[in-house]
Amino acid sequence: MAKQFHELRERLLRAGVAPRHVRRYLTELTDHFADLRAEEERAGRSRADAESAALLRLGAMDDLAKAMIEQRQFQSWCVRAPWATFGLTPLLLLAGAYFVALFILWSGWQMFLPGAVTPFGHRVNGFVNWYFQAGRSIYFGAPVFVGWAIALTAARQRFSAIWPTVGLVLTAVIGCMARVHATPPAVPGGIGHVGMGFSLWPSARGSLLYALVILALTVLPYLVWRFQKALSLTA
Amino acid sequence: MAARETNPNFMNGVPELLILRLLQQEEMYGYEIVQAIRSRTDAVVAVGEGVVYPVLHGLEGDGALTSRRRTVNGRSRIYYSVTPAGSHRLADLSETWANLAAAIQKMLTGGQHGEAIP
Repeated sequence: MAKQFHELRERLLRAGVAPRHVRRYLTELTDHFADLRAEEERAGRSRADAESAALLRLGAMDDLAKAMIEQRQFQSWCVRAPWATFGLTPLLLLAGAYFVALFILWSGWQMFLPGAVTPFGHRVNGFVNWYFQAGRSIYFGAPVFVGWAIALTAARQRFSAIWPTVGLVLTAVIGCMARVHATPPAVPGGIGHVGMGFSLWPSARGSLLYALVILALTVLPYLVWRFQKALSLTA
Repeated sequence: MAARETNPNFMNGVPELLILRLLQQEEMYGYEIVQAIRSRTDAVVAVGEGVVYPVLHGLEGDGALTSRRRTVNGRSRIYYSVTPAGSHRLADLSETWANLAAAIQKMLTGGQHGEAIP
């Protein structure tokens, strides 16, 4: 029975049914199957016969799959709008992460380095160091975490590689081109500003190398998962 | 063992109607619902038992049903019950079905242009 339910799960996911709907459907089918098997056993059937009868009463796998696939409300957003899931959402997540990183940089500058013309290049210790490192980690980690989110989403939905690849490449390119800059206060004692731009400066080669690192870090877990999946199917 | 025969085209909307009717009386979980449909229709209405869940989930998604998890005899079950929106839907479906059944009955028993079927 586990094999049939496994096949049903794969079929539903590949057809675009959202993982949470698939999980719940299979949980209820498993419970229902157990009830039917118990009922058949109470009627005097052997365990094997009871399982066969229960499976028959539950319905053909084609019918069970079709009943879910036909209802559009069970479709995941990956399938309904892949451009939004793998294109727009990563951009918004990156924008949000960069905003938080910039805010940490700017607020740290105002709180811990008042009067400094730039938040960069200062030797700081203790909590202040942790504060700035948190922002730095978010800034550098964001493309990788967003890439992992894309890979995880694609893997959970058994999605084909095209749209996830678009999302991963987009994330890596933005990650490698993002540059933070600080504008000193216009007047002594004023408030400076931090901002963000996108360029290949100072080194196109270095930027591309960084893009490849991001891509490798995010694509590798996805490739390993696909490889394992392929192995399990051939086994 | 032969596969259980169903009448899917004619059954469109019927499982929904029966489920709403049953759940209006008391909350039930999937297995109970299927057994209740079978016993109360004298097994005339036959559905692949697993197919009841997409109908339940669909009704829940539409706001006609609500569900909650309960542990009974050591087993966790998802119980369904009808919402006010579900009651309205049941009333609409019942009316539609009653009209349809009356029309078919009229057709079978003669009507304006037909003849009674012995």
